[in-house]
Amino acid sequence: MKISTNWLKDFVELAPPIPRIADRLTLAGLEVKKVETLENPQDVLFEIEITSNRPDWLSHIGVAREIAAVEGLSLKLPAPDSETGRNPPPGWKINVKDLEGCPYYTGVLIEGITATKTPDFMVHRLAACGIRSVSLIVDITNYVLLEYGQPLHAFDADLLQGKEIQVRKAKSGEKILAINGATLDLKQEDLVIADSGHAIAIAGVMGGKGTEISERTRNVFLESAFFDPARVRKTSRRHQLSTDSSYRFERRVDPEGVDYGRQRALALIKQYAKPRHISAVIKAGEKPGLKVKSIHFRDDEIRATLGCEIKSTQVASILTRLGCDAKQHAPGSWKIGVPSFRPDLERPVDLIEEIARIFGYENIPETLPERAPGLVGESARLRIEKKLRRFLCGLGLHETVTFSLISDQGLDPASDLATAVQIVNPLHHGLHWMRPTLVTGFLGVIQRNINAGADSIPLFEIANTYRSPGKQKHPAEERVCAIALYGKFAAKSWKDAARPVSFYDLKGIVEAVAEYAGCRELCSAKAVRSYLLPETSQEIRMWQNPVGFFGQVAPAVLRQWDIKDPVFYAELSIDKMLAPGDAPRKFRDWPRYPAVERDLSLMVRDEVRCSDLMHEIRALGGGLVSGVGLFDLFRGKRVPEGFKNLAFRVVYRSPEKTLIAEEIQKLHDRIAETLVKKYQAQFQK
Amino acid sequence: MREKILEVEKEAREDLARVDSAEELEAFRVAYLGKKGKIPELFRLFGEVPPGSRKEVGAEINRVKEWIESALKESRVSKPAQNREESLFDGTLPGIPPKIGSIHLLQQTIDEITSIYGKMGFEVVEGPEIETEFHNFTALNIPLNHPSRDAFDTFYTTDGQLLRSQTSTVQIRVMQSRKPPLKIVAPGRVYRPDTVDASHSFMFHQIEGLMVDDRVSFSDLKGVLHLFLRELFGSATRVRFRPHFFPFTEPSVEVDIQWGKGWLEILGAGSVDPNVFETVGYDKTRVKGFAFGLGVERIAMLRHGITDIRHFYENDLRFLRQFP
Repeated sequence: MKISTNWLKDFVELAPPIPRIADRLTLAGLEVKKVETLENPQDVLFEIEITSNRPDWLSHIGVAREIAAVEGLSLKLPAPDSETGRNPPPGWKINVKDLEGCPYYTGVLIEGITATKTPDFMVHRLAACGIRSVSLIVDITNYVLLEYGQPLHAFDADLLQGKEIQVRKAKSGEKILAINGATLDLKQEDLVIADSGHAIAIAGVMGGKGTEISERTRNVFLESAFFDPARVRKTSRRHQLSTDSSYRFERRVDPEGVDYGRQRALALIKQYAKPRHISAVIKAGEKPGLKVKSIHFRDDEIRATLGCEIKSTQVASILTRLGCDAKQHAPGSWKIGVPSFRPDLERPVDLIEEIARIFGYENIPETLPERAPGLVGESARLRIEKKLRRFLCGLGLHETVTFSLISDQGLDPASDLATAVQIVNPLHHGLHWMRPTLVTGFLGVIQRNINAGADSIPLFEIANTYRSPGKQKHPAEERVCAIALYGKFAAKSWKDAARPVSFYDLKGIVEAVAEYAGCRELCSAKAVRSYLLPETSQEIRMWQNPVGFFGQVAPAVLRQWDIKDPVFYAELSIDKMLAPGDAPRKFRDWPRYPAVERDLSLMVRDEVRCSDLMHEIRALGGGLVSGVGLFDLFRGKRVPEGFKNLAFRVVYRSPEKTLIAEEIQKLHDRIAETLVKKYQAQFQK
Repeated sequence: MREKILEVEKEAREDLARVDSAEELEAFRVAYLGKKGKIPELFRLFGEVPPGSRKEVGAEINRVKEWIESALKESRVSKPAQNREESLFDGTLPGIPPKIGSIHLLQQTIDEITSIYGKMGFEVVEGPEIETEFHNFTALNIPLNHPSRDAFDTFYTTDGQLLRSQTSTVQIRVMQSRKPPLKIVAPGRVYRPDTVDASHSFMFHQIEGLMVDDRVSFSDLKGVLHLFLRELFGSATRVRFRPHFFPFTEPSVEVDIQWGKGWLEILGAGSVDPNVFETVGYDKTRVKGFAFGLGVERIAMLRHGITDIRHFYENDLRFLRQFP
C-alpha cells in the first residue's frame, strides 16, 4: 500500500528527515519497502508492506498512529461530524437476513447532489496512492477507505428497485454483472446486497454495474458495514476477485470505523457535493465487540519473555500511544483495555510483543541460554548418509538435487504409478506425482548435461521416494541412495584410452557400497522394473533382505530423453541398509599364514554362470579357499562358438598353518577335475 | 679358497658403496671384472682347488661375479646417456586428473549450518515431507480461511494430505513425541506452488530450529542467532532484528544482515507462541522457547554469488564441479 506523507501530516507531526521515519517504522515491524519523492504537488510516498495480523495499518490514520507511538508523539484525530438529518428516509428499510455474514450494516440516503467536482487535494492524494479519480462520490468513498481503512459503497438510489436493502446469501443460479464488467455466477455461500429485485453488490468485495454511480447520479444510498472476514475471504477467493475493499474486510475492519468512516464521508459529501438533504442513518445488527476487551499481566512476564527489564512508565507510555487503556492496578501488575481496532491483542504475550516492538528489538540484550550442554544424538540414518555421500563423492560421483515432483514420463502407469502419491493441484508441466523412483529425474539431468557437451556423467542422489500404502493411509517415504552412470568411465588422457562405462562399473560401485555398509556378501536375484532392461535388472540383497535394485535403463525409456548411449541405474534403500550397518566396526586381524595363489582356466558353455563356478570353487575348497577372483574372460580364437574361457585366480590359505605346495596342488587339481566333470568344462593348463 | 672368495665379495661391497660417479664405477668394473681384475684372479687360483670341491667353489665364484655384474647394471651412477628411460622422462607432461566427485552445494550448506548449531548443542532431526493439515497449519496456529495462509500456498495429494510448505512441521512432531528440554534443527525439502523463476522454485530447502526449556527468552534467541550468523558469514557480520509476524511465534522477528550498503533479510524467528505449546500438550505456563527458520538456497546464493536458484536443480556438471 502507498502512504502519502502529506496526508499523514493531517494526523501526526513528521520531524524530518522523512527517510528516518521510514527506518523507524521498519524497525517497529511496519515495513517501508520504498520511499519515493513526488514533484508537483510535492509529496513523499511510503510503500508499506503489512503483515496479515495488522489490518489497522491499512490506512493513513493507522500508520500515523504507529508513527506517534514510535516517535513518542500524540495523534491528532479530526472530531467526527455526526450531524445528519433527523428522520430516516421514509419507506426505506435494511433487512439483514444473514447476521453472521453481516453483523452490522448502516446506510444513509443522500438526495439532490448539486456539485460533482472532486477537489484538487483529493485528486492528488488519491493519485499518489495509485487510485484514479472517477467521480466525486466514488472518490470520497475511496478517500475514506485510504484514510480510515473503512470500505464504503455508494449506490445510485434511483437505480434501486424498491426501498428495501437486503443482505442475504446468494440464490442458487443467481448472477451479477460486477462493476469490473465480469458476470459472476454466485454460490449460496456468497453474501450479497440486494434490492427487491436482484443482487446489487457482492458484499464487501465489489458493487454491481446496474446501480453504479455515474455523472448523472443525483441521489445516493451510502453503505457502511462490517462483513465477516472469513466469508469475504471465501467469496473473494472463489471468484478470484481481490479488491481494496475485500482485502480489508477479510483482515477485519475496525467495527467503530463503520460509523467513523460513514461520518467522515458524509462530512466530505456535505462540503463538496452540496446535497439538498441527508437522511438519518438506518442500521441493522450491532457492532461486533472484541473477544477480549481487557488483558491482565505482570511485569515479570516481560522479563521472562524478553530477558530484560522495561520500566513501568515506559510500558504505560508505549501501550497508551498504541491506543490501549493502560492501568497499573497494583505494583508490577497491569490491566490493559484493548482498542476496537486491535483484535490481535488477546493475551499477555501479545502486549509484550507490542512493548518489545516499540521499545526496540535493538535495545533488548543478547544472551545465551543458561542450560549447560547435554547429550546431542545423531540418528543412524543421518550418520550413514553422511558417510555414503563422502564415499560416493570419493568414487568420483556428483551429487544432484532433483525435484520430488515428477511427470509420468518414462514410467509405467500400472507398475510404477499404481501406488504412487498423486498431487491434485500440480503447478505445471504435468508434475502430478511424488516420485516412486529417482531414475527419471536423473535422465533429465543426463540429457541436459549431454546437450551441454558432457561425455562422462556419474551421478548420485540421496532423497526420498514416496508410495501410497492404500486409501486412508498416510503415504510412506523411503530414503534411498540412487546412482546413475552414463558415458565414459574415465576421460581419455595422453596415457590411457577412454573406456565407456559398463554394467560392471555400476555393479562394482553397488558392491563397494554394500561392503561399505558392512555387508560382506552381496547376493542378487532377478528384479522386474518397467524402465530397466529385463536381462540386466537385478535385486540387491544384503543380509538376505532386498535393499534395492540395479540394471541398465531400457533403450525405449532412454529414447524419451533422446539419450543414445546406455545409462546404468541403481537404487538402494538407506533405511534397509541401516540396522546391521551402523555399529562401530570391529577390527579383524589378518591371517598369520601365507596365502598361495593358483590360476584355473576353464572353457565352459556360454550359459554357465560365473557366480556358480565361483561358489563351487569355494565350496570345494573345504575352508582352504580364502578368495576367488576372475582375472580374464575371452571368446573366439581357440575358443569354439558357444563357449567362453574363464580364468580364475584362487587364493589358498589356512588359518592354522602354512600350506605345503603338494597339498595345495592336490586340492587345486581336485577342484579343477570336479568342475570339468560337472560343467563339461575343458581344463586349460 | 672359500675365505678368499668371501673376502673379495666383502671388499667389492665396500668399494661399491664408495662409488660416487660414472668414472669411479668404471674403475670399479675394471678392478673386479677387468682382465687383471679380482674375479679373473680368483679363477686363476682355481687350479689349486681339490677336484672334489671344484664344482662348489666354481659356483661360489660365479655367484659373486653375477652379483657384481647386476650391481653395475643397477648402479645409481650409471651414465645418463646409457639410460633410455631417463632421457625420455618429461616431468612437464600433464598429470592424469583423478576422478573427483562432488557433494551438492545445498547439502554442503545444510551440513555447514547444522554443524554450527550442532556445536551449540542442537540435534539434527527430520520429519516427513508429506504431511497433515494439522502439522502444517492447525498446530502452527495458522487457521483455515485466514489471510495468514496466503503466505503458504500448498500442494495437496488426492488423499487429502499435503506437501509441507515449511519445516516447522518437524517442531510439532518432535514436541508431540518428546518432553522438554529440546534443542533441535530440522533440515529438509519444502514445497509451495510458486512459478519457477530466478528466485522462486516450487521445491526448496529449509532448516527449522527449535529450543524449548523452562527458562529461554527472546534475548537468548538474539544471542544464538547472532552467534550463528557470525559463524556463517564471518565475525564482523552486522545483524539487525526487525519485528515481523509469524502465526507460530510471538514476539516474531525477521533478521537482516548487512550486505553491501543495505540490509538483506536472512531468516525469520521468534519466541514460540503459547498456542503452539498448548496444541502439543506442553504446559504453556512452565515452558518457553524460540524457533527459527531459514532458506538454504537463499543462504547458498548469497554466500556463493549465485543469482539464479534454478542452477541448484539443473545439476549441470559445470555447476556441480565448481563446488567439490
